[in-house]
Amino acid sequence: MKKIILSTVLMAIVVVGCNQKNKQEESVKPETTQSTSQLYSCPMHPEVTGKQGDTCSKCGMELTEPVVKTEAVSEEVKTEKVAVTPFSVTVDANVNDYLKVKNALVNDDSNGAAAAAKALLATFNAANTTSIDAKLKKEYIEIADEAKEHAEHIADNAGKIEHQREHFAMLSKDMNDMIKTFGTNKKLYQEYCPMYDQGKSGYWISDSKEIKNPYYGAEMLTCGRVEKEL
Amino acid sequence: MKPIIKKGAILSVVLFLLMQLYQPARNVEYGQVSPMHFTKLYKVPSRVEKILQISCFDCHSNSTNYPWYSYVQPVRLFLDSHINEGKENLNFSEYGTYSKRKQRSKLDRMIKQIQSDEMPLASYTIIHKNARLTKESKAVLLNWIEKKSDSIAANN
Repeated sequence: MKKIILSTVLMAIVVVGCNQKNKQEESVKPETTQSTSQLYSCPMHPEVTGKQGDTCSKCGMELTEPVVKTEAVSEEVKTEKVAVTPFSVTVDANVNDYLKVKNALVNDDSNGAAAAAKALLATFNAANTTSIDAKLKKEYIEIADEAKEHAEHIADNAGKIEHQREHFAMLSKDMNDMIKTFGTNKKLYQEYCPMYDQGKSGYWISDSKEIKNPYYGAEMLTCGRVEKEL
Repeated sequence: MKPIIKKGAILSVVLFLLMQLYQPARNVEYGQVSPMHFTKLYKVPSRVEKILQISCFDCHSNSTNYPWYSYVQPVRLFLDSHINEGKENLNFSEYGTYSKRKQRSKLDRMIKQIQSDEMPLASYTIIHKNARLTKESKAVLLNWIEKKSDSIAANN
């Protein structure tokens, strides 16, 4: 009897162990395939990189050489910066207005947030998008449309700071994606309050490492942490 | 004094009758439900769909279930302005035309608006008593939208 119990326990351990290994392998796989499929470089001009099927901007050849991961990261940052510089200025203007909205919310100043959001909306509407690459333009329009809607809600809801903060959370996500796609000349940080919205959406962007929480204001001014540098 | 009152009464009756002549196009979808409709895009359980139908679609879709008094002006003007505003913020009939980003943020907004009892509007539920969300229907609705929202977030 004892033997049977012992062997079943052993079996169970083996089975569980094997399953975990499989899971680990599974979870690792997509990452590696993703990073390799992400970037290819031109066989003639290794500094030119892009997605599979893209052509080299210098000679028109198809990008066929897979880029090694460590190289890929540095290349990606470099190419991104070169490609986005003309539009980054516009992004920076939007970010500046966004930061004013954020600062007003930090100070629990609902009217100030509304006024700043109005200015942000105007800056968005004045943005010149002609310098954007056609491929990225669609993405920009999607992001900008959303950001504008949230800015509008913040502008229209002076006095309802909770409502404004809900839209600010989504606006922050849009701003983050915009910076990620088009780059910025500013030194910015993504910061996060795990208490807000059950930890789902409490991100914001700041130009300072010092935490000043726009979701709670004076109530919990220093709650939060720096997630990453943008 | 009396003739003035009489004149005024006649004038207002005439104005009221004239007003009735203004009957703009109704917010009704004749024929099929648009393929861009929320319920075509997602697999919405029938319970949730029923709640959406009764409590949301009158103002947030291209298909309003008009009450009889909507034929009377100026009630109609008031209703239409609400419907237009509602559709501008969220139109379930055209949900499929929204960008993925917008769809996600709209789901999130639905959750927040329902949670805080901002929606359905009090001025709507005071007349449409059956559109009022009971504790139970609110839970069913929120539960489903939250799950949907989380699963979309996990896929991105």
